[in-house]
Amino acid sequence: MSAATGVATVFRRELATVARTPGYGVLAVGLFVAVGGLVAAGGGGATGFVPAVVDLLLPTEALVPLAAVVLGYRALLTDGASGELAVIRTYPVRVGEYVAGVLLARVVALVGVVGVPYAVVGVVVWLTAAPDTGIFATHTGIDSPVLYLRFLAFVLLFGAAYVSLAAAVSALAASRRSAIALGVLALLAGVLGGDLLLLRALGAGAPASTIPGSLAVTPNGAFRGLVFEHVVGVAFAPAGGFVSTTRAVGALVGWTLVGAVASGVTLAYGRRVDAAVERVRRGVRD
Amino acid sequence: MSEPSLATLTEVTRTYGGVPVLSSVSLAVAPGLTAVVGPNGSGKSTLLRVLAGATEPTAGTVRVPEAAGAKPVGYLPQRVPFRDGFTARETLAFYARLVGDDPDAALDRVGLADAAEKPVEALSGGMRRLLGIAQAVLGDPSLVVLDEPASGLDPGMRERAFGAAADRADGDTAVVLSSHALDLVDAHADHVVVMHRGRVAAAGPRDAVLDEYGVADVGALYRVVAGDARRGAGADDGGDGGDGTDRDGADDEGSAGEESDAAVHVTGVSER
Repeated sequence: MSAATGVATVFRRELATVARTPGYGVLAVGLFVAVGGLVAAGGGGATGFVPAVVDLLLPTEALVPLAAVVLGYRALLTDGASGELAVIRTYPVRVGEYVAGVLLARVVALVGVVGVPYAVVGVVVWLTAAPDTGIFATHTGIDSPVLYLRFLAFVLLFGAAYVSLAAAVSALAASRRSAIALGVLALLAGVLGGDLLLLRALGAGAPASTIPGSLAVTPNGAFRGLVFEHVVGVAFAPAGGFVSTTRAVGALVGWTLVGAVASGVTLAYGRRVDAAVERVRRGVRD
Repeated sequence: MSEPSLATLTEVTRTYGGVPVLSSVSLAVAPGLTAVVGPNGSGKSTLLRVLAGATEPTAGTVRVPEAAGAKPVGYLPQRVPFRDGFTARETLAFYARLVGDDPDAALDRVGLADAAEKPVEALSGGMRRLLGIAQAVLGDPSLVVLDEPASGLDPGMRERAFGAAADRADGDTAVVLSSHALDLVDAHADHVVVMHRGRVAAAGPRDAVLDEYGVADVGALYRVVAGDARRGAGADDGGDGGDGTDRDGADDEGSAGEESDAAVHVTGVSER
């Protein structure tokens, strides 16, 4: 059996599981209501894409990680906790293929649960927004659906990083309860931790010129920087200088890979580590 | 003896929290149906998990057959773990796709063809176990490990589960199962392994072991071997098999490491 067959088989099963879980549909509807409500309440959506993105940027930094963690926190725990992973491992599918199949399915689910609500809101803005002189003056007249599409792409890249990190958490967790606890911890660390560390570094005397570089390292900082650089910042002159695009995209892709690799390593070597710990315990007892 | 073995465990030990659950177990698994019996907590499930590769031993080595077919080992855990929300056919189709097998034929083999479109969560306990057995034998493995395939089933379903397992065991395939259904073990098993406190108390071809202990069936063997071992663990029993030094009265395998080797009755071809 080829690696592609293994990944595709796991992917199909995982996607079917997500599609048959009503809670994810509820999550998507809830996210749509939240995002739509924020745009309506902020008023930016009535005038164009960039104002809508400005309204959404800060809430998105919390809402997308939250949705991604909900999608990922049990991704690799379910089979492990039920004992089905032990069965799957008797089949010719490698741990890497299994993790890749699960993660790909969860990222596709992210597109449905997060991408669709944001896309629908974008369509609504496109259909309903009317020119507003004030906003156009503020934003030097630049507004385009392309900017919103960029925002959407960054949202999905940002969400994929959190799905992957949440999956790594699910591989480490021993139970649903511990998965929730670890997921909440990862969420808080991701959403708040980066900025707090940056503030602490600045407070300790780090030069302000290091902000763009440091900002791009964390998922939230990288996402925020990309949105400023390629969506909101486009409307300002002179544009640019918020963050290094390469570094920020690299950080989001990197965090996604870190989560995937951590998941694979945990599943591949978890039993050996457990046995090694037992050897140490036995040695201490003896 | 010259009977070939398909899998071997050599001096395998497994501890949890530093407490031994398996202690220096050596075993050779020959083709045919091997039944592992023993009291609750005697280490049967851990032995089977180690054999299936689901648990890493803390000491010792495990050799399982190379994959002659699509997979070397088939495994059914004690708790049938399939995901809810999928039908029996969809569940088997997932596994069958991984080994290029036919899920419908697998369902048919265990008599579940009529329940193919039933969701897993709507299957009875017996049907779930039969589904698990169908899964375990997908891909034609040389070693099939079934942890209590007849547990909690009515008499008819127990017979059916055991029959499905026994049908699989032949000259090229070893089926290893654990069970408390000693009547079915007596009727179907080619080899028996009696576990007690994490150790192999007796093992070998069923008839040879019965002869050696001078008993008529596996139920009597269980009473003699496990009973003797239990008495051996008591405070003042000095009878046959009661020369072990495990006298702490613990009812689990935590003290298995304290037992003397004399308490382990080694016999037949399966014990190494």
